[in-house]
Amino acid sequence: MTMNPTFLSTQYLANSLVLPVQQAQLTTAITEESTGQYADLGLQLGDQSGYELSLKEQVQQLQALTTGNSVVATNLSTAQDALTSMSTSAQTTVQDLATWTAGADSGAQLQTIGQTALQELTSSANATSGDAYVFGGINSGAAPLNDYFSTGSKASSAVETAFETAFGCSPTSAAAANITASQMQSFLSGPFADLFSGSNWTSDWSTASSTNTSAEIAPGQTVTTSTNTNSPAFQSLAEAYTMVAAFGGSSLSTSAQQAVASAATSLVSQGQSAVTQTQAALGATQSQVTDANSAMSSQLTLIQTQVGNLDNVDQTATAAKITALTNQIQVAYELTARLQQLNLAQYLPVS
Amino acid sequence: MSLSTAFNIISSSFAANAAQTAVVSNNIANVNTPGYSREVANLVVNPYGGADAASVTRIANAALAEQVSTSTAQAAAQQAIANGLATLAATVDDSSTTSSTSGADQNGASPSAMLSNLQSALTTYEGSPTSTSAADAAVTAAKTLAQSLNAGDAAVNHLREQADQDMALSVSTINSLLAQFQTANDAVIGGLASGANVATAEDTRDSLITQLAQQIGVTTTTAANGSMSIYTDSGVTLFQDTARTVAFTPTSSYVDGVTGSPVTVDGVPITGSSSLMPIQSGALAGYATLRDTLAPQYQAQLDQIAGGLINAFAEGDQTASSQPLLPGLFTTKGATSVPSTSDAAGLAAAIEVNPSVDPSQGGNATLLRDGGISGNPNYVYNTTGDTSYTARLQQLVSAIGSTQSFDASAGLGTSARLTDYANASVSWLQGENQQTSDASDYQNALITQATSALSNATGVNLDSEMTNMLNLENTYASTAKLLTAVNDMFSALLQAA
Repeated sequence: MTMNPTFLSTQYLANSLVLPVQQAQLTTAITEESTGQYADLGLQLGDQSGYELSLKEQVQQLQALTTGNSVVATNLSTAQDALTSMSTSAQTTVQDLATWTAGADSGAQLQTIGQTALQELTSSANATSGDAYVFGGINSGAAPLNDYFSTGSKASSAVETAFETAFGCSPTSAAAANITASQMQSFLSGPFADLFSGSNWTSDWSTASSTNTSAEIAPGQTVTTSTNTNSPAFQSLAEAYTMVAAFGGSSLSTSAQQAVASAATSLVSQGQSAVTQTQAALGATQSQVTDANSAMSSQLTLIQTQVGNLDNVDQTATAAKITALTNQIQVAYELTARLQQLNLAQYLPVS
Repeated sequence: MSLSTAFNIISSSFAANAAQTAVVSNNIANVNTPGYSREVANLVVNPYGGADAASVTRIANAALAEQVSTSTAQAAAQQAIANGLATLAATVDDSSTTSSTSGADQNGASPSAMLSNLQSALTTYEGSPTSTSAADAAVTAAKTLAQSLNAGDAAVNHLREQADQDMALSVSTINSLLAQFQTANDAVIGGLASGANVATAEDTRDSLITQLAQQIGVTTTTAANGSMSIYTDSGVTLFQDTARTVAFTPTSSYVDGVTGSPVTVDGVPITGSSSLMPIQSGALAGYATLRDTLAPQYQAQLDQIAGGLINAFAEGDQTASSQPLLPGLFTTKGATSVPSTSDAAGLAAAIEVNPSVDPSQGGNATLLRDGGISGNPNYVYNTTGDTSYTARLQQLVSAIGSTQSFDASAGLGTSARLTDYANASVSWLQGENQQTSDASDYQNALITQATSALSNATGVNLDSEMTNMLNLENTYASTAKLLTAVNDMFSALLQAA
């Protein structure tokens, strides 16, 4: 403080120990010690404020992505479970078809194998996670695979029509017994197979969108997070099960029934391997999500540390500052009292 | 030398003693008066050999006084700006809090933080596109963002209105101080001419200059006849023999684009862009800077952010006809096209969430996912109505993060990501806030120093006055003794005769 060494005004002496700055600093330091953050962050950071906000924005974005990933992960594991039960069901069906012997076992038994399998397929394909059908592609609001056994099923009537067009009779009529194994084989691989692909499939069987859902699982990393019922796995299995369910209990000859069972067996095997491929693809996505989560988690820690470096005060230093300021102000108070005593008027005799 | 000469000397000694006592009393009486300059009685030897109090000198220090007035003016300007910016900075306070409902980190109240909230709400919605609650949350975040821009804009307008009122108050204070100054100045001139003691009038003048410096930066010159002239720090005459008229027409209500009227001295503007000699310091200069420069610039930045939002969320024609973009999630009442960057004035005040997407106004939040917010069916993105359609949401999230162009006049560059631009605006404001606050602290420290120096140079020391008083008592006692002695001598002489 500037002062004239030979002359000090009384006013200066009286005010020199008033410490408004230190008192303000003390208030600030006490706030900072209790919150651990700078009392006025904006004033402290100044033009660094935007940088700090952008870090917080990254934190928020990473947190939102992590939350989103938990939904993605749930959907994926629901899909995996459903695919696993489809695979198990296919396995059982292959075994049942192998056990079934034409002639020795009845057509009705064959039909039951197909019906059970088709029902299981329909239930698996219509698996839901939350309010979304996981195999619906982006059209997740509607059950993707239509029920073949429901009344008025378009798939069911299309199968009957195809049969009648090919052979001129219904599968249950007596005339059907005249159909040979080779005629049956060419029907199954021809007009019947056409019902399970292209526009026939999407109009009669599946309401799913062929566009799969995709999600951003990490900043800038968008992955496909589902499969849909328009894929070969569902088509092959549905085709195999339907032929058994539709023609197993019909009036077909033993040899034609055997042809149906053989055709179904090979299709189920195809379908099962397609399911396995799909599971592998979704599994890869699942591990991508896990990797993204752990990467984002370590990134979050890093950025939050940076934010902390900007926002937080050094608690130890603040505590030391509070002690120092308190001492200084106390000393000032004591000195003020003493200076008031150092006054010539106190020492002059009153006459 | 005769005994009667001794009587004369004694008599003058009493007179001189009385004059000095009066000066000491005056000094002691004003020991705590700020701006008081101590007085000293000047003694001269009179023709009889005795002492007369010839005059009273006022201990003044013009250099230090000027330093006090300059730093007072500087501090007042910085303080006025700092106070104003602090109210704006409160609207972008970014102290971290954790939301009690979602548990997610909230970054305070700035448009920038709200934009970040919207971005993460959209990302969450993108993760669960079938969830209506996620859609509602995203729309709510958008509304909060629009409201924070509206509130920021209102705060700017309010600040400008406040600054305008402060300018009016400041101008009336200046006029009143100048009128008082005229009285004191006339007293000094008159007193000097007649040889009277003008110390009190000079003290008044100095004190008025300091008060004036609070409002407006001034410099002074003193003429040979003792008359003081006052000029603004930019050189416009405020007082020369008579007070000049400082005039100002207040503007009561501010919205985007309203320019406040300038302060004039004798018709010459001293604030505003039309001024050739703008004042640099004093509270008046601070208010004018806030009203005319800083607040409008921040408002322009908010407008650019609002314009950027409307553009980022605009919807494109999804048919082959390629009609122009239409406002989507963010719009202004009755808007039928998206604004250009140079035509953003007033957008921060007017921006709102399109009612057609706001459930609280009967809208449908899922339009955010599907498009067609504008109401035109050609602008629907999700034409098949699929519930897990995320392509549009992905577009929106990336639109927030992609580079846009902005108008250079807002002072934050012409090309940036919307989020970065919003952050830069906060940085700009807090940067100005920090600078001004630091400058204000510095100027206040200077005032303390200059005031202490001036007080030590010209103020009263009680002990020194008491010592003088004791001296005077002794002189008085001795003179009285002397008078008795001379009187005894006279008596002896008369008895002898």
